[in-house]
Amino acid sequence: MRRHAALLACLLAASAQAQEDVDALKLADEAPAVVEQRSDWRSFVEAGVGRFVRRADGTSQTSRRLSLDVQYEHTLSQKWSVAFADRIDTSWLPEGGGRHSINTLKEAYASWRPLDDAMLDIGRVNVRNGVSLGYNPTDWFRRGAVRSVVSIDPASLKQNREGADMLRAQRLWNGGSLTALYARDPGRLLVAMTQKIGGLSPQLLAYREQSQPVQLGLNLTGLVNDATVVMFEWAGGRAPSQLGDTTTAWRDCISTGLTYTTASKLSLTGEFHYNGAAADDAGWNRLRAGPPLAYAIYRNQVQQAQDLPTRRELFFHGLWQDALLPQLDVAAMHSTDLADHSRRSWLELRYHAGRTDLALQWQRSDGRHLTNFGALPEARAWQWTIRHYF
Amino acid sequence: MKRLTALLFSCAVLAGPAAAAPTPQEILSASDAVRNPDYAFGLTNTLVEYRKGKQTESNVLAIYSKADPNGGQFRSLVRYVAPARDANKLILYNGKDLWLFDPSSKASIRLSPQQRLLGQASNGDVVTTNFARDYKAIDAVEEDTQDGNRQTRRSIKLNLAASNADANYHRIEMWVEPGSARPIKARFYSESGKMLKTAYYRRYQQALGTERPTEVVIIDGLEPDWVTVMRYTDWAKREVPEAWMQRDYLPRFKPE
Repeated sequence: MRRHAALLACLLAASAQAQEDVDALKLADEAPAVVEQRSDWRSFVEAGVGRFVRRADGTSQTSRRLSLDVQYEHTLSQKWSVAFADRIDTSWLPEGGGRHSINTLKEAYASWRPLDDAMLDIGRVNVRNGVSLGYNPTDWFRRGAVRSVVSIDPASLKQNREGADMLRAQRLWNGGSLTALYARDPGRLLVAMTQKIGGLSPQLLAYREQSQPVQLGLNLTGLVNDATVVMFEWAGGRAPSQLGDTTTAWRDCISTGLTYTTASKLSLTGEFHYNGAAADDAGWNRLRAGPPLAYAIYRNQVQQAQDLPTRRELFFHGLWQDALLPQLDVAAMHSTDLADHSRRSWLELRYHAGRTDLALQWQRSDGRHLTNFGALPEARAWQWTIRHYF
Repeated sequence: MKRLTALLFSCAVLAGPAAAAPTPQEILSASDAVRNPDYAFGLTNTLVEYRKGKQTESNVLAIYSKADPNGGQFRSLVRYVAPARDANKLILYNGKDLWLFDPSSKASIRLSPQQRLLGQASNGDVVTTNFARDYKAIDAVEEDTQDGNRQTRRSIKLNLAASNADANYHRIEMWVEPGSARPIKARFYSESGKMLKTAYYRRYQQALGTERPTEVVIIDGLEPDWVTVMRYTDWAKREVPEAWMQRDYLPRFKPE
């Protein structure tokens, strides 16, 4: 009797599965023929409106901006291609303070490919090195590259930056590559080599700016298992400290961590950031307690360089794609300064509706007086954005 | 080589019982040769995803694939054509070496095999795969099964077990057409025995010298109303130098 019942259950399950397959196949029969032509263009317009609370007096103000971002790449022949990328950010200052526009020419260069595995680029190129998410010591071209900060999202800071005028050559071979570039202003030379060794592909870098000592770098990634990637990024060399000392000493900068991805499309990243050129804990406390002008100059220089003002930081990032409902992405970020225990958090909900993205962003920063994040002018902020690709 | 295997298999079947019957592994290799040519090639993969009967997403990818001279598994370079927000993003699939390059940020990001870039389709579903490289066909039995056109067909059912660490699934059941070894459908299982998905191979059309499936319908094992339709078009033989199969080439990859 029990055997018959089990057999009947199996038959019913098989029948249900067959019906589900039939329904799915019928649906597939009606799938539309999607025809998308490859385009040389990728452009969008984005509008943002929000409110922020000023830390100084606790008042709340409105922020409004409009951005146009254009990317173009075109293959002229088998050997020649051109690329162009530009962005205009217009923001309206609070309380009728007028309009302010910033243009960022990201790229404008021609590329020549004499061989399948050899290329030469000339013009304005956006060069970015580094395998970490929140802090990239080997990304030497980040210094002064961000002209308009529209979000603290690391992806946004990497996208909205100015390129440098340069000549870049690249040679590839089976399992490796060599890239050398020279940027005229202010005389920067970078050489990067990647070579596959077993299951690893380390990238070694050497960078020199004007007559400063050569800086070395290493980028390395590996798999712990099918769900976990580890990253290690290091840059080191003799350099003056960020405090403006004239004497140079060997200084290391490190960014290392891992990204774990669950089966439900949730990726979690944790990183440790170390900046050996920043003020140490005692130096940072002296700076905070010292003349306000010296503190302001230091913060301004560090911000321009997109570096860390203190030695150590913990960074967390999470991205959950198709969270709760399809096409909804939830992203979160949190930084803790280990020298002064100040914190910054950021959260974004982004919904993709065809060619349009709707996003809600929120951020807050906390910390004692003149700490890393406790000194940021905006204590809390939120922003709605709408982006349309065309 | 794969074409030769397919030919040998067909001859063996046509010659009747006197000839040596192909082994299950030979049938699997012949089935791989129906899905993929044995040289470097390019195609366009259009994915349309449905949930609860409603279209939720569509992606268009331009893919170049080339078999690894050491081992035979395919490596692929992928460029997003659509949707607009992902256009021109690039992915390298080289075994477990996965990289995403975003032209907006110029950032190359290392991905883990578990990081899926498209809705329900796993990375292995999207790019070219030789099952015979990563799975061992344990047995082959004849049975009737329902095909992608909802017709009952005579088939050979192969039971596949993962044979190395690169395999994405613990176990696969695959039904192929007797004689031609054309894949009809496959069911993919986790180590715990859970059915993860079913794939139907259909719409056979001439492509690169033989009839190949130009549509794969993927049905989720846990949510059967989660369906992905993958359509292959623009098949073309391509020259893909070995030096292109690395992270540092990704920013340069522009499919024709």
